[in-house]
Amino acid sequence: MSTIQESERTAIQEELVRFLRAEAGEDTLRSGMQSDLGYDHAVWQKMAEMGLFGIDISEDFGGIGGSAVDTAMVAEGLGRSLLPVPFIETCVIAPALLEASDMTDESRKILTRIAQGTATIAIGGNADIVPFRDPDCRLAVKADGTMSGEVSLVMHGGSADFLLLAFYSGNQTRCLLVSSDHDYTIENQTANDPALRPAKISLADVPFIELTGWSNDNFEQAGWQGIVALSAQQTGAARAIFEITVDYLQTRYQFGRPIGSFQALKHIAADLFLEVESATSASQAAARALASKAPQTAQSVALAGFLCNDAFREVSAQAIQLHGGIAYTQEHVAHLYWRRARATLSMFGDSDLHREAYLSAWEAAA
Amino acid sequence: MSDFDHTASPEALSAAVLGWLDLYWDTQHRGPLGEPEGNQQLWRQKVFDAGLAVPSWPEEWFGLGMKPAQCKAIEKAFAERKAPGAGLDRYHLGAITVFKAASDALKREMLPKLLTGPICCLLYSEPNAGSDLAGIRTRAERDGERFIINGQKVWTSNAAEAEYGMLLARTDWDVPKHRGITFFLFPMKQQGVEIRPINQITGESEFNEIFIENAVVPERFMIGKLNEGWASFQTAIAYERLIMGQGITERRRGASAKGRSPLLELAAKTHRLQDPVIRQRLAQALAYREVNRLNNERAKRDMMTNGSLSLMSLSKLAMSRIQHGEAAIATDLLGPASLLDGPDNADPANTNFDAAKAYMNSIGGGTDQIQRNIIAEKVLGLPKEYEPDKGTSFREVKSDAGSRNGE
Repeated sequence: MSTIQESERTAIQEELVRFLRAEAGEDTLRSGMQSDLGYDHAVWQKMAEMGLFGIDISEDFGGIGGSAVDTAMVAEGLGRSLLPVPFIETCVIAPALLEASDMTDESRKILTRIAQGTATIAIGGNADIVPFRDPDCRLAVKADGTMSGEVSLVMHGGSADFLLLAFYSGNQTRCLLVSSDHDYTIENQTANDPALRPAKISLADVPFIELTGWSNDNFEQAGWQGIVALSAQQTGAARAIFEITVDYLQTRYQFGRPIGSFQALKHIAADLFLEVESATSASQAAARALASKAPQTAQSVALAGFLCNDAFREVSAQAIQLHGGIAYTQEHVAHLYWRRARATLSMFGDSDLHREAYLSAWEAAA
Repeated sequence: MSDFDHTASPEALSAAVLGWLDLYWDTQHRGPLGEPEGNQQLWRQKVFDAGLAVPSWPEEWFGLGMKPAQCKAIEKAFAERKAPGAGLDRYHLGAITVFKAASDALKREMLPKLLTGPICCLLYSEPNAGSDLAGIRTRAERDGERFIINGQKVWTSNAAEAEYGMLLARTDWDVPKHRGITFFLFPMKQQGVEIRPINQITGESEFNEIFIENAVVPERFMIGKLNEGWASFQTAIAYERLIMGQGITERRRGASAKGRSPLLELAAKTHRLQDPVIRQRLAQALAYREVNRLNNERAKRDMMTNGSLSLMSLSKLAMSRIQHGEAAIATDLLGPASLLDGPDNADPANTNFDAAKAYMNSIGGGTDQIQRNIIAEKVLGLPKEYEPDKGTSFREVKSDAGSRNGE
């Protein structure tokens, strides 16, 4: 359970909303997109100073010991702003796995640095917890204690301070931490979403630290935390582009009337509102289930997984259609939401996979 | 003075109500204790006198001035003892409307009656006034201290049993449509009221057509003011839509135990539970139902914390896709067997019934399309569509086949 009180949570949320509104607007998003990093580093730094990155890290390591509910709150704010920061990788999945593993001086140091905002982590591989799995990755540990191989789709792999490589090896799952102090080759990959920075990483005889001591439950839990954080991000983003669209329907005139007065368009808007609210309910329920270790967590997480995926896809796609020609330009912000939606669809497995997991969980509960 | 303290915690209240029920209610025989006949009228009077029929209403209006959490505790206690009569402040549309909109005199006269027995029916829709309900043409003409009613109503349930009907009638034809309507509490048991059951596509006949010819309503049975009935009606219909979003039109078949779903059972029975395509559709259908429940929970929290009704407006629309969607999957699961019907073919008969009944939610109480207008306009703030009859006196507005209402 969270150690954060309700009043503190509200305060954090208000501060975050104020901050994002003031310093993470479309201008910040667009200037960040032009940079190598993909986002404005100053914004990342300030969020660290606000203590947001230690939200899911226990107090022993300089965090604030929050729960999935608190993480979701931050993720939703980030989703609204569309900032492409490595929050889920660095502040959600990696800490979950590090804290579940045998604690070493090195992992203690990394957790502290994450909480301070002085280290980012990129995750690659083909294991379930990996955002944007690469099914064709070739990663192998060698007898001399180094590792080699190749892995693509490593988000922010070029700028991260550590790589967390999670992959299946025989019938075993391995999680290796590689410091960027070591030499490996980074090949930036071109992404459809101009804010995203995937990279292909090639490693040859690179030293690593292996995370050990975690259980299958820990591993599953870390994956669930990623899915729930993503669902919150998607919910925030879907709501943001929905609000932009409703505003446009009120102000754009054709035939001498606001176009939002036409039933053909307002009926779509009403349906999208249902999607946004349903996504919000599903995401919040999953975060609560995860935070309270509820028995139906697997079901709640899977539900949020596909409802939020599908809602963000539908809302952002219809946003372009409802705007008409103006949203067929790069100048308008709608395409950025649409591209992000398409990118996140496969972040933790697609909606069909989540639907199957949902039904299986339902059957298991019966 | 009531037995129940409106400052009590829900837990304390629950204990007090259970204690009260144990004094007067026989759970085993489902009747008032010591009343072998199980006199329902007497029981309702007892509940009413204790303030438990409408606990959220103020004490001077037959309630207890209770907050939502307290009311919930009372209804739960009644449900636990299988006692009827609680929660009328949430379900009795007629009484709610009278309470919210009628004069003090009418409330004093009629609420004790409405809350203790007589069924109320709704006299809203007409053959030519469905989605455009404000276009009603049933007329109420003043005759001294009474009104003479002529016209036709439709989609009225419980009409034969009802003692009163909530009647919308036109009292002024020379103003725009919304401004010439008056709301009446209409006595059903009188000369000039003819009730004809409608044979519905489900095979049921819960609805009726009502033909009204020179029937009479006393002036004091006006709910609200003359020509101001539309506003009061908005209150009434909003409640009806809220209730529908909770899935009240569905026929329950003893399922819904946790983790059980009639749809999954049908899939298992028809050996399709391993079909990956069916599994996707099943998951989506279950998800729509689960997320509607989650939305309703949030809606209730919203309503309690900030009085917001915006989320509430979604559930009726959501319920349509749930019901039509589930019926479609069930039909496909049955395959050719779905052409069968009747008591010898329970699964097809149930499925066929559900497929038809789903329209009850997507048309009744305002079609999905009207509901989308309401969400878009009232919640999202989008402007109204062009209304050709806006500002025109009702007499001049075009009706079917281009004739005018006044012709």
